[in-house]
Amino acid sequence: MDNITIAIAKGRLGERGLELFKNTDMEIVREENSRKLVFKDAKGKTTYIFVKPSDVVTYVEKGVADLGIVGKDVILEENKDVYEIMDLDYGRCRFAIAGFKDRLSDKKNDVLRIASKYPQYVQSIFENRDQRIEIIKLNGSVELAPLIGLSDVIVDIVETGNTLRDNGLEILEDLDQISARLIVNKVSYRFKYDVIQKIERILGGE
Amino acid sequence: MRYTSISEELEVTKFKKRVEREFEGYFEKNGFNLIEPRIFQKYDMYVRSNFRQDSSRTVKVLSGNSRIYILRPDITTNILGEIFSKWDGEPPLKVYYNSKIYLNRPDGKILENYQMGIESLGEDVFKADQEIVHMGTRLMGTLGRPVILELGSSKYLDGLFKELDLDQEEESEIRDLISKKNRYGLRIRLKELDLEGTVLDHIFELQGDMREVIQRANSHPMNSEMREAIDELESLMEGSSNRYSSGEIKFDLSMLPDLDYYDGIIFKGYCLGVPNKILSGGRYDRLTEEFGLRVPAIGFMIDLDLVTRIRMEEER
Repeated sequence: MDNITIAIAKGRLGERGLELFKNTDMEIVREENSRKLVFKDAKGKTTYIFVKPSDVVTYVEKGVADLGIVGKDVILEENKDVYEIMDLDYGRCRFAIAGFKDRLSDKKNDVLRIASKYPQYVQSIFENRDQRIEIIKLNGSVELAPLIGLSDVIVDIVETGNTLRDNGLEILEDLDQISARLIVNKVSYRFKYDVIQKIERILGGE
Repeated sequence: MRYTSISEELEVTKFKKRVEREFEGYFEKNGFNLIEPRIFQKYDMYVRSNFRQDSSRTVKVLSGNSRIYILRPDITTNILGEIFSKWDGEPPLKVYYNSKIYLNRPDGKILENYQMGIESLGEDVFKADQEIVHMGTRLMGTLGRPVILELGSSKYLDGLFKELDLDQEEESEIRDLISKKNRYGLRIRLKELDLEGTVLDHIFELQGDMREVIQRANSHPMNSEMREAIDELESLMEGSSNRYSSGEIKFDLSMLPDLDYYDGIIFKGYCLGVPNKILSGGRYDRLTEEFGLRVPAIGFMIDLDLVTRIRMEEER
């Protein structure tokens, strides 16, 4: 069987993905609190590398990793040229536009200010809407932006909606559905087709 | 950090030139003649005949009398314009090119890139398909690493979509899912559209080993356009079986063309360990109609910079 490299998003989403390989011949054993970023399975055939979520897509597009496990939110934001072959069916949430309910978010001739961690995605959503926008890129606590007058609305991922409610915000519009996905480099897909099919089966596909 | 010295750079150029000469020699040996595309094209002509392309990416130039020209953004349509102004479809024409193209990059800089490729015009479809695919495989074979030629036909999906009652938006949504090999997303969408169990539902099974793909395709219903796609691929397979081992060619009927003027066989060449395609091409009879005369036309483009890089690594 061919050697294969899988990029895993650091954090909860990646950890759950890794659990799916438990009790298969691709399982890896990691020491507690290890800071290593590269692991191999017992036979040394499968290599796992742990990187920042947004870098998973880059690694796969550039072919240094054949496969990647990463959230759909990151795939949409990065918009890279990769195959997206599986929905891993966990980490479900959605993108949404949120803001104050009683305030008009449709400003037509005025500029709508949107705070988000996902500027490219916001751009793509508003591309064909007749609305001038300004995107304010933030790295965290996006809900804060409308409260302190930094933006009119936000675009963010929403799981339960609790954080929004606690801050007096409401969902104004639901956007794309999010969950963990398996992505593949286009060249690897052709050269390592059989292994990739096997991994699809391990991860619960047909 | 150390930068490459000028003498090292010249070594690379020398190496690249050697590969170029080797390829050009191969084209000429097979009866292809060099064609030099014009560098300036009239802007309004370009916009009229390439309404699908994003014309903001073209590099504009003002002439002395304030007419707008563009620097050629691609080679194929450029040389077709030139050829069809002086050629009436016979005898068959075989040309190759090796020139630069110019495009605006998103960061505002101008991209200049070499493009090398061949075009076969007016030749019998079956014969030309064979010849072009064979030449593509041969060039890929010089890389010294495992290579795969991925072969499909735009006619298969085009034909299939004609059987389905979908509006334009639904069709492009489905094409997008197919182009991402997004099996689960496709399944959900097909369920919503009440298209479960159709050939579309099995489209990703129609890739892999040549014989198996043909066999599986034959077990599904086909209209005449889809049938044509299969027949063309099949004859290509038979013609090729004694030339190269089947491992080098994979069929993929779920493959979508990069350019929307392709109609017929389409192909991409990959090399192990290189994340981008090295070679891409296909049949584009439909495009020739826009130049006033429909003739059989097929060609491919090869990324010479990538080829040079791989061969330098291999030969060192």
